[in-house]
Amino acid sequence: MRFVEEFRDAELGRALSGEILATVEPGRHYKLMEVCGGHTHAIYKYGVDDLLPANVELVHGPGCPVCVIPMGRVDDGIALAHQPGVIFTCFGDMVRVPGSEGSLLDAKADGADVRMVYSPLDALRIAKRNPDREVVFFAIGFETTAPSTALTLKRAKLDGVANFFCMCNHVTIVPPLRALLESPDLRLDGFIGPGHVSTVVGARPFEFIPASYGRPLVIAGFEPLDVLQAIHMLLVQLAQGRCEVENQYRRVVPYEGNLRALEVMAEVFELRPHFEWRGLGFISHSALKLTDAYSELDAELRWGVPGVRVADPKACQCGEVLKGVIKPWECKVFGTACTPEHAIGTCMVSPEGACAAYYNYGRLARERQAV
Amino acid sequence: MLSLARCREDHCITCADDGEVMGAQAVDESRQLARCAGAGGIITVDIALVSPVAVGDQLLVHAGTAIARLQGSA
Repeated sequence: MRFVEEFRDAELGRALSGEILATVEPGRHYKLMEVCGGHTHAIYKYGVDDLLPANVELVHGPGCPVCVIPMGRVDDGIALAHQPGVIFTCFGDMVRVPGSEGSLLDAKADGADVRMVYSPLDALRIAKRNPDREVVFFAIGFETTAPSTALTLKRAKLDGVANFFCMCNHVTIVPPLRALLESPDLRLDGFIGPGHVSTVVGARPFEFIPASYGRPLVIAGFEPLDVLQAIHMLLVQLAQGRCEVENQYRRVVPYEGNLRALEVMAEVFELRPHFEWRGLGFISHSALKLTDAYSELDAELRWGVPGVRVADPKACQCGEVLKGVIKPWECKVFGTACTPEHAIGTCMVSPEGACAAYYNYGRLARERQAV
Repeated sequence: MLSLARCREDHCITCADDGEVMGAQAVDESRQLARCAGAGGIITVDIALVSPVAVGDQLLVHAGTAIARLQGSA
């Protein structure tokens, strides 16, 4: 398919790998964070890290929508799923995320009507087809997904669908990046920026990173050549002493983002004062809730949720993985007690999670050979 | 089932915040909907955020909504 295959060309990949090797300073260690879980997945699926010199280290960031959902929110969702007459809808990976007493899949096994959907529109269709039932859509995701939820809520309101509700868990990418940059645990040289979030928000929201923290960021696509080129662009900036936001993903990402998407999000959502992120704790103004104009569609107002904060299992080190402090295989339960089939932590549930990406693609070798 | 068809064998593209390049096959501007084809099959896509859309346009689709039109795709 056009715009896909040409970005998987092996010869070009080897050429880019050579360019990267020629750009790095021997003896200097480079630590680059790929913000987005989609990048993590692409890196291990296509073996991008095998094409990098040993002194270029990739650190996995917090941009996996499923991985950052805390256990307490899963418990809240399960409580709604068990409400009489409710059809509870959510995206595919979300059903397997463990709460304190099981997952949504377990709730389904216990009799709750939990259904997987591809899009919020699918959930709205279910509501229209089941006027005698109340349908809850468990909304997760960054700014990539939030416009789809916003449009669906607008359609629901316009069509007068009274049995459709949203439990909003949408999060925003900039606050956790700022929290990571403020963290003393982590020393990063640059960021591979989230391509599809940037499709919506544009490049401007990331300009504080070079301006205030002196780190370059390159917005990147999700094919292997996209990632390799973004790494090369970051290394060139570092070699030249530049520090800017650059856009490798120009075929999709306009500098100003998608203004219509931002407009509809501003109509439907407002920032929560604070929101808990798995592993990162509470971060101010980092998540969305429905505005007053859409409050009749807010599932949390319709039923109320327990809202109990639940600590992660002691053995699980997803928090450190999400902050890039440890590698997945450094977690005590990685690949033993915690596997994709029996996940303890969220990073093992979603294939975009760093642990699952390592596990699924056999990236268990802890030493890389120098290219 | 639609959701399963859209989730590839190795990951859920919606959970992933992962857009998918799809080609517009038929467009209903009045309802802001298009029938689009991609690697995972054919679905109905909300095009309100990128309209006007022409048949043949390549769209970045996420969670059933087109969030960008690829440059030079028309």
